[in-house]
Amino acid sequence: MSQIETFYDVMRRQGITRRSFMKYCSLTAAALGLSPSFVPKIAHAMETKPRTPVIWVHGLECTCCSESFIRSAHPLAKDVVLSMISLDYDDTLMAAAGHAAEAAFEETIEKYKGNYILAVEGNPPLNEDGMFCITGGKPFVEKLRHAAKDAKAIISWGACASYGCVQAAKPNPTQATPVHKVITDKPIIKVPGCPPIAEVMTGVITYMLTFDRLPELDRQGRPAMFYSQRIHDKCYRRPHFDAGQFVEAWDDENARKGYCLYKMGCKGPTTYNACSTVRWNEGVSFPIQSGHGCIGCSEDGFWDQGSFYDRVTDLTQFGVEKNADEVGLAAAGVVGAGVAAHAAVSALKAAQKKTQSAPSKEEA
Amino acid sequence: MSETQLLVGPFNRVEGDLEIRLDVADGRVSSAYVNSPLFRGFERMLLGKGPRDALTITPRICGICSISQSAAAARALADAAGVMPPPDGARVAALLHAVENVSDHLVHFNLFFMPDFARLGYQGRAWHDQVVRRFTALEGSALRQATEARAQLLHIVGMLGGKWPHTLAIQPGGVTRAPTARDKVRIGASLRAFRRYLEDTVFGAGVEEFAALSSEEAFLNWDRGDAGLFTTVARDLGLADYGCGQGRYLSFGAYPTNDGPVFASGQWDNGVLSPLDLSGMVEDHSHAWVLGEGAHPERGETLPDEDMREHAYSWCKAPRLNGQVFETGALARQVVVGHPLARDLARRGGVVGRVGGRLLELALTQIEMERLLADIHPEARFMDRVELPREGEGVGLVEAARGALGHWIRIEGGVISSYQIVAPTTWNFSPRDAGGVAGPVEAALVGAAVQKGEDTPLSVQHIVRSFDPCMVCTVH
Repeated sequence: MSQIETFYDVMRRQGITRRSFMKYCSLTAAALGLSPSFVPKIAHAMETKPRTPVIWVHGLECTCCSESFIRSAHPLAKDVVLSMISLDYDDTLMAAAGHAAEAAFEETIEKYKGNYILAVEGNPPLNEDGMFCITGGKPFVEKLRHAAKDAKAIISWGACASYGCVQAAKPNPTQATPVHKVITDKPIIKVPGCPPIAEVMTGVITYMLTFDRLPELDRQGRPAMFYSQRIHDKCYRRPHFDAGQFVEAWDDENARKGYCLYKMGCKGPTTYNACSTVRWNEGVSFPIQSGHGCIGCSEDGFWDQGSFYDRVTDLTQFGVEKNADEVGLAAAGVVGAGVAAHAAVSALKAAQKKTQSAPSKEEA
Repeated sequence: MSETQLLVGPFNRVEGDLEIRLDVADGRVSSAYVNSPLFRGFERMLLGKGPRDALTITPRICGICSISQSAAAARALADAAGVMPPPDGARVAALLHAVENVSDHLVHFNLFFMPDFARLGYQGRAWHDQVVRRFTALEGSALRQATEARAQLLHIVGMLGGKWPHTLAIQPGGVTRAPTARDKVRIGASLRAFRRYLEDTVFGAGVEEFAALSSEEAFLNWDRGDAGLFTTVARDLGLADYGCGQGRYLSFGAYPTNDGPVFASGQWDNGVLSPLDLSGMVEDHSHAWVLGEGAHPERGETLPDEDMREHAYSWCKAPRLNGQVFETGALARQVVVGHPLARDLARRGGVVGRVGGRLLELALTQIEMERLLADIHPEARFMDRVELPREGEGVGLVEAARGALGHWIRIEGGVISSYQIVAPTTWNFSPRDAGGVAGPVEAALVGAAVQKGEDTPLSVQHIVRSFDPCMVCTVH
């Protein structure tokens, strides 16, 4: 195929007006943290660049990433899924089945050799030669390697593809393995979360289309624009943390008042994600707003860190930066000893460098 | 007499992976073998973990029925602790769960089931052009409307549960979010918008009018909305005779409140309704790659047979009740409740019965969600404190969109010592049992027409999708 249509062509074909197209461009610029001067740039790229072909495959997973994706806020963002970027091959949503589907898969790889983005949801189980996940008569890991070979870049959607997620929980019966441990010769963007936020998913894709390159990634390979701040940093309950006002039990008065959930096991202080700013289900809410602490589902290993309802003392992950620790410490110092122990814990980095025993004893 | 074998799969537009082996004789399926080719081992990962971790881990079995899994886990823990959530907490949990089930029905009809009728094989049929416009995979106008209506409806889960999928709000003692009067108003607005969508688009008439249908004939003559488009197709193709059921239906009872479940529990055997009694339930291992003897889930184990022994053909166990095969799902639920349309549809219980059951339940659940919301009192208690026992057993029985879902937990020394999950698709897509009796979908496929040259027969696709399989839940 010589001429691939542009995004704008596809969108006009879908009956999307110029006005909503421009609106989408500005929303995307805002979501990506770009200044308004980037809006025409995004628009221009969409108008002139051929759409990027995407192959979307599923391994060991639960489809929650797709589910999240098709629920993104702006109607146009949904069209990213349903037509715009053109999911040339998608296990869950496509029309074909059986051999026709396998043929479509091969054809797409052949047609867009070297140009397509491979989006991976879920991960391959390696135990017993991959027999725990067989599609089209072959272990999923083979399908993954095959599709990755001619891909321009790979997006690891969600905690499964990025880190392994719950199916990799001890004893990891199937030896579920994240994508980057199987594919080592391609640029991989990790978009962790269980699932990732829809707007984060569309944002990442739009950035890649617009600027024709991968977004800036952090050391862990996550797009920095969405994963550079902790949930705690922008949490609307943060003032209660600073003031030492905590929920002590699910049914207490403080729960109803919307106090900080840190003592109920909230992992917001150690979790890097955009939940507290972008929020969920079209910006309606996020777990902390519903009265349940963050479980840290976008962090590596969140499924094997002890109980989800324990405080972050047990977490042995990278810590929090100094400023927040100082604030936490200062606040706790005012309200008394019980909370002081807990603020010391919040100073994770320091606590971990010394011994774990002191804070966790007070914790008990 | 011509005999061939077909291997159908991967299926796509089903949740998860599925493969079916068909024996074909004289243009009809003579026997079918269903393989669930994906195993993750959730029941093994839960061992040794704190009981409350089940609330976070089990929903991740499935991204489309995560609330069902979390509701079942919460009920199992509450049962172990011997508590019931306060009435208003139970109602919020019920509302959350109902929203998810309705969303699943909507996705099934629009994204998974109807697109098959837009295939080229049906070109020339009077309804084909319209189905192509409305239901072509990824592009049809109905698909867009459904995704949008669903996203709006799920605002309710956003508000009450923080996020969807993988909502955390449902706990053994109730729900973490006490809705305010303002939330109530906003939820009411979302429900009204969803009613408008159902009435304008799906039924082309009032929800109550559709819910009042009382016979298969009246349903098949319904000519408005997308439901009417389906019945047009169904009449033309004779879908009512595709994939007939065996007349045995099971429901664990949907949306438990303190006055009992919104949709009653029970078991139905060809015209006879009896109270739910699971004492005779066994998960048979004879044709599954699972080691050990089959057992009641209270005593069951899941040890994968890594040698994948010869005569077994699936990772899925075969649940049986009193040695018999039961079908579960929306149709089963409404048959047990006693809705006249469902009872009539169950006579044949084929593709029309299952899809009709789901459409019926869309209407009925809309009415129930409005009622649940009206009964929520913002000033009431929504959560009680729950002390989990260090030793104990519990069972959580709920109804997911696709049918009966059970969690059986045993706690020893404060950690999980056994956890067994039997999902709706485990019942419906079970392999054969020790007696060689086929599972519901295997039986329903027998007799399906296979046209010359078809390697993935259309009739097989309609029948399989009419069950709305959720393969990731099946084996977990």
